[in-house]
Amino acid sequence: MKNRTTRFLISSLVGVALLCVCVFSIFALHMSNQSAAAINRVGTLYMSSMSQQTSRHFESIINLQLAQLNSLAGTVSSDRIHEDRKLQEELTAQGKARDFTYVGFCNRDGSLEMLYGSQLTVTDPEPFLASLSSGEQKVAIGTNARGKKVLLLGVPSPHEPTAEHDCVALVAGMPVSYISDNLPLEENNERAYSFIIRQDGTFVIRSNDAYRNNYFERVRVLYEDVNGMTPDQYLQALSAAMAEGADYSNEFTMEGERYHLYCTRLPYSEWYLITFLPYGSMDTVVTDFSHEWSSLTILSGTIILTALLLVFYKYYGLTRQQLREVEEARQSAEEAREAAEMARKEAEHANRAKSEFLSNMSHDIRTPMNAIVGMTAIATANLDDTRQVQNCLKKIALSSKHLLGLINDVLDMSKIESGKMTLNLDQVSLQEVVEGIVSICQPQIKAKRQHFDVFIHDISTENVICDSVRLNQVLLNLLSNAIKFTPDGGEIHVALCEEDSPRGEDFVRIHIQVRDNGIGMSEEFKKHIFDSFAREDSARVHRTEGTGLGMAITKFIVVDAMGGSIDVESAQGQGTRFTVTLDLEKAQVMEEDMILPSWDMLVVDDDRQLCESTVAALSSIGVKAEWTLDGERAVEMVVKRHHRGDNYQIVLLDWKLPGMDGIATARRIRQELGDAVPILLISAYDWGEIEHEAKEAGITGFIAKPLFRSTLFNSLKQFAGIEKSETPSGKTEKSRDLTGRHILLAEDNELNWEIASELLGAEGLELDWAENGEICVEKFQQSPAGYYDAVLMDIRMPVMGGYEAAQVIRSLERPDKDVPIIAMTADAFAEDVRRSLDCGMNAHVAKPIDVQEVMRLLGKYVR
Amino acid sequence: MTLQECYAALGGDYDEAMGRLRSERLVQKFVLKFLDDGSYRLLQDSLAAGDRAEAFRAAHTMKGVCANLAFNTLLASSERLTEALRDGAPPQPDEGELVEQVKEDYERAARAIRAFQEGAGG
Repeated sequence: MKNRTTRFLISSLVGVALLCVCVFSIFALHMSNQSAAAINRVGTLYMSSMSQQTSRHFESIINLQLAQLNSLAGTVSSDRIHEDRKLQEELTAQGKARDFTYVGFCNRDGSLEMLYGSQLTVTDPEPFLASLSSGEQKVAIGTNARGKKVLLLGVPSPHEPTAEHDCVALVAGMPVSYISDNLPLEENNERAYSFIIRQDGTFVIRSNDAYRNNYFERVRVLYEDVNGMTPDQYLQALSAAMAEGADYSNEFTMEGERYHLYCTRLPYSEWYLITFLPYGSMDTVVTDFSHEWSSLTILSGTIILTALLLVFYKYYGLTRQQLREVEEARQSAEEAREAAEMARKEAEHANRAKSEFLSNMSHDIRTPMNAIVGMTAIATANLDDTRQVQNCLKKIALSSKHLLGLINDVLDMSKIESGKMTLNLDQVSLQEVVEGIVSICQPQIKAKRQHFDVFIHDISTENVICDSVRLNQVLLNLLSNAIKFTPDGGEIHVALCEEDSPRGEDFVRIHIQVRDNGIGMSEEFKKHIFDSFAREDSARVHRTEGTGLGMAITKFIVVDAMGGSIDVESAQGQGTRFTVTLDLEKAQVMEEDMILPSWDMLVVDDDRQLCESTVAALSSIGVKAEWTLDGERAVEMVVKRHHRGDNYQIVLLDWKLPGMDGIATARRIRQELGDAVPILLISAYDWGEIEHEAKEAGITGFIAKPLFRSTLFNSLKQFAGIEKSETPSGKTEKSRDLTGRHILLAEDNELNWEIASELLGAEGLELDWAENGEICVEKFQQSPAGYYDAVLMDIRMPVMGGYEAAQVIRSLERPDKDVPIIAMTADAFAEDVRRSLDCGMNAHVAKPIDVQEVMRLLGKYVR
Repeated sequence: MTLQECYAALGGDYDEAMGRLRSERLVQKFVLKFLDDGSYRLLQDSLAAGDRAEAFRAAHTMKGVCANLAFNTLLASSERLTEALRDGAPPQPDEGELVEQVKEDYERAARAIRAFQEGAGG
């Protein structure tokens, strides 16, 4: 479209320009022709008038002489002149007085009888004689005795010729120069010149550079072109005109210059005046005028062309702009179409992924279901065979667990997709989480005989605020993937480290790294690893089961829910490394005072970083420690100290050491030192298998990796005589004795109230019941200040809800308005917890009632 | 009919209830009291009156009671209904079914408790 318009514009521009040039050229040509014709006409006019003038001039000077001659003739009174001497003398005297050079009589035969002057001969006597005989006056040319040309004037004789004297005319002669002197045959100023010729072309008077005797000859030799005619054609035309006695005008070119010529007959003679005028001088004016015309024409042509060009250019620009706009519109339409296409493709892709997922799901669900159905059938058929039934049940249990995992993943995914997944934030011990994960994964790692290690770098904040279930889920996912995709005998490494969080002092940044040297991922798959329903679909992975949702869920939890980041590095055949980075709030919990006696300890591990980090952790709980990287050196150091009588209080030995392993080292130390020093074995593995061997070698006990500060403290404190913690699970806060404390319980449901009252009453608390928020506020207001030690607040109550009631209590003018308020509700969503806290409540506990948890919270907040 | 059988009949978890309330006496006491609890009636009345906010609160309370008593079947259906009624959410197409389910589960629980009551009383 663009090209077509442009082509049309350009071709029409060229067309119009050509038309312009043509029209103006024709115009100019016409003008030039016109001016040539004008020059011609003007030239002819001018020349004719000039010729007539010359002709009249000629007539007048000839008339003058003829009059002289006539008066001379008048003096001849008698026809006796030939005899009368006296008369002859008188005539001679009078002739001389009239300046005639020659005077004589002309006889009938044309011979001249001279009165005075030398004998003359008429050059062309016949017409002269004929004219004179018929009584006409005439001029002619004659020659004298010396051959010089003489102008002859003849007037008829006044007397009849006699027998002896046949004189017909009186003839006078004078130099030819009389004519050329008196006629302006050469006009210097205009470069015009004239010849006088006879009808046969011979010159009577010639001027200028004409040296030939005949004008016609001159024409034939010199003239190049006579207005389109050859010189001969011209001469014919000229002769014809002469014969008719008509004037003749033409142009010719001679020696490169153009001339006008004009030919007219002269009176009293057989002569013709032919006048020439160079074209140049004549047409200068006209040419100038025509030049001006041409310039004007060209100028106007140029102006019109320029204007046209401008108009076209402008129009072209406009068209271009329109085209551009159209093009832009088209492009944006195209982009929109592409975007729509992309969206459609994405939708299709998602759809396809969903279909694939469904078919995978049905396959994955079918597999454990088949096992369950099959094993059930086998068990039913072998009810008497206990071992067989047990085996079947075990397999059924496994398959069920797998199935449950699948279903949970799908549920999580649907929660994520509907935006309903929120975090239940609570205090979490990283140590417990990592230990829990390690113990869950250990059986699988052992089954695949994989080398497993877990490593803690300088973790000072073990208790953080996080959703422990989700954090567990993330770590389990990463770790189980690592186990799944690492072949037997491969290596799996988990590492945790801590740094300051950019979110402030109340936060800590935790990096969790899970690394393996398994099959890795293709670049292509790495891009999609976090997509829903993604599974690497290649032969080597096909047999690996899973929903393809694990990583999508993991990413959602880490990035969207917890605000962290997850990175993956992977190379096919070399392994994979996931790094999860989280900024977690530090738990505002008083950590147990972890101080051990200022022992000297030795840490033996082949990992230098682990040694340094462990030594740092030990020093933070008051223990001085040294470290070394191998068993041999450890034995040396222990023996050296022993000889100095300055034994290490405890030795921590890694099990897997290069060269001499932990057990062999322990055996050597025992040989040297006896049982004096406790030796603890560090291991990331389940030590069930080696326990017997280790005890025999003299190992006092075991410490499970990862070596958190609390892990070290809890494992070591038994050697310091500190009593063992009552709650080995890590919930170290002891329930306080709250007997007799007054608690106001707002709960609209009687049954729930009774249950709470029954259970908390059994803990020694004194409970008062408020049926709704309003009554709760009233009872609190009516009580003496400090009477209630805490308020347990249901959220959903008629008349006034828990949030509102808490806000009212906080706004009261009472010294105990900051009484601990703990929300109790069946809504365990994170947003409910947040809202409770926003309303001024201290904590939140979920229904159904968990007496231990309630007591723990009360113990924490009641003064 | 024993209390365990009653729990089995109404789809609850006896062990969980025992774990929370610590004695069979208390479990029995509260199970029998469940019949007097007004939440279910309030729920039905509110739904009939079209008061969704009140219906939500009633369902929520019932959910709390069921959670305390470990009446897990009724807990599950009342929880679903609670979520459907929460915060003025627009009526879901399956709300009728949820109400029906709660009704069915409640009546099942009530039947089981009455049967137990008769067994215990007689």
